[in-house]
Amino acid sequence: MIKKFEKSLHGSESTPVNIVVAHALEAKALIPMLHLQPFQTTSRFVQYGNSNNLHLIVSGIGRAAMEAAITDLSQQQANEEGQIRAWLNIGIAGHSKAPLGSAWLGNKITCQVSGVSAYPPQLIAGIDSVAVITVDEPERTYPEDVAYEMEAFSFFEQATKYSTAELVQVFKIISDNLENPIEKLDFKNIPIWIRLLQEQIILLISKMSEIVREHNDSHRIPGVYRELCSRIHLTVNQKLQLKRLCLRYKALGLEADLESVISLAGSHSKQIISQLSAQIDRVGKQ
Amino acid sequence: MFSTIYIEEEVLETSRVKNMLDRFPQVPRVVCERYGEVFNRKSQNFRLQKKAPALILAKKYGSKVLVAPDGYGYNDSRSYYFSHMLNCVYDCRYCFLQGMYSSANYVLFVNYEDFEEAIASKIEKNSGGGVYYSGYDCDSLALEPVSDFCKHFVPLFGEYPNAELEFRTKSTQIRHLLEQPVIPNCVIAMSFTSHEAGSRWEHKVPSIDKRLEALQKLQLAGWRVALRFEPLILDSQGLTPYESLFAQVFAKLDARKIHSVSSGLFRMPIDFHKRIVKLYPDEELFARPTTTADGMIALKSEDESLQLAAIEKLLFSHISPQQYYRCA
Repeated sequence: MIKKFEKSLHGSESTPVNIVVAHALEAKALIPMLHLQPFQTTSRFVQYGNSNNLHLIVSGIGRAAMEAAITDLSQQQANEEGQIRAWLNIGIAGHSKAPLGSAWLGNKITCQVSGVSAYPPQLIAGIDSVAVITVDEPERTYPEDVAYEMEAFSFFEQATKYSTAELVQVFKIISDNLENPIEKLDFKNIPIWIRLLQEQIILLISKMSEIVREHNDSHRIPGVYRELCSRIHLTVNQKLQLKRLCLRYKALGLEADLESVISLAGSHSKQIISQLSAQIDRVGKQ
Repeated sequence: MFSTIYIEEEVLETSRVKNMLDRFPQVPRVVCERYGEVFNRKSQNFRLQKKAPALILAKKYGSKVLVAPDGYGYNDSRSYYFSHMLNCVYDCRYCFLQGMYSSANYVLFVNYEDFEEAIASKIEKNSGGGVYYSGYDCDSLALEPVSDFCKHFVPLFGEYPNAELEFRTKSTQIRHLLEQPVIPNCVIAMSFTSHEAGSRWEHKVPSIDKRLEALQKLQLAGWRVALRFEPLILDSQGLTPYESLFAQVFAKLDARKIHSVSSGLFRMPIDFHKRIVKLYPDEELFARPTTTADGMIALKSEDESLQLAAIEKLLFSHISPQQYYRCA
């Protein structure tokens, strides 16, 4: 099972997923598991990545740190081609009675301070889910049947500014409960629990990658667009028109015709756009 | 069937919700305050959610019976629609719902009694008459095994013989209809497109054969059935797809007993179209040239009215012009 998922994860296919952890100990087990290498950047956040486009950032603890890390990483990865990435928060949480090392996806994330809830759409089958409450101070009494932690709400709120909610998920690993209070948490156990959850983590990343790849492929803008943008001056509005025209050619199976139409139109932006429009209106009409 | 079931706190303890939940013991449940927290939020993606839709059980507040859009129905009576559900279990690429909501989850309003009251009140205001459409924001019958919707609402119209109820559907879930006494003022209107259009753009929809089989059973049981040939998406194949579709349909049904037949071209509000194009930039249908008029977008076609007239002529070889209307 793991091998199958690992194959998909480390094969030639892209894995456009950002993993965000609060603590370096959470990253510790993920780095070898996902074959990550230190990622050189001027950012103040420690980052790792691999050649398949998988990325990990260590945010630091708490809501503000999480927000800052996501903003930082999204600016670093910004592109204007409509390509998105999935975001996955992996981190520890407390629960009244759940066994240590057990793990869930968050299906409802409530900010304890504001009382506001967010609901990550549950597209990925095969992993159990639980409600999560994000607190500012560690919870010691666990009054509700939910996982308590410190970053998920900010993570979801912030990451959905850069991706779609279906591709923003939180995966919480139980590190403390009523029998094993947080004060007695042995930090050495965190990487061990994460390692034991390898199959679920890889399944999650593989499925998220699959969805994001499919999305990005359907939204891929023909290369001609980028070429033209670098070659001639286009206003913002012209860029939008050109992008839409390129996508229409692609949808109609006419991507190969783009270059010849453009070459016939010369190098004037207005002329190129009007030629592309006229041609597609002729061909696309049934 | 559902990835998750969200339940509004307010309806959690109702017997209708409990019965529905009993059918799906394995599906994860999440309690929410109001369905709007989950449904149609910004940063949601209809296309992605269609991969694994969730069910949301909620209570409908506010207006429950609304005036039907102009040209929606088959006569000049006062027409209304009501939606006990938002979104459809099918995935038709031409559907306007994709542009209406950012979420593909199904919202099922379970306060049927409130709908019933609102419908009864509207009927009484209309001196016992009016036409009431179900299936504008959803498919009326597709979720019937879970919702018991028509089992509940058909008897209400039994009490108002001058008011008419029309179910718009592509579903074959007719068991509850066949199990109850026929009422003459209920019409089951089945939608069809050509085989070619269906295989290209309709996903998860029962085959034409299965839908016809369901309609035939209903007709034989005494129910009034109607045909909706919508949306017509005209292309280079001309009339051929419709010749074979009509031949198949009218070979199975008693044409004289058909309540009404309509056709309508592909049309949608411009804003919805814009949103759908963003969702499906790779879809050939939305890359075709279009025209706009009065806030609506349509596919550009030079001989559209000629083709439509030819399709209507074909239809009139099976039905009388009195049975037919053209959808606006």
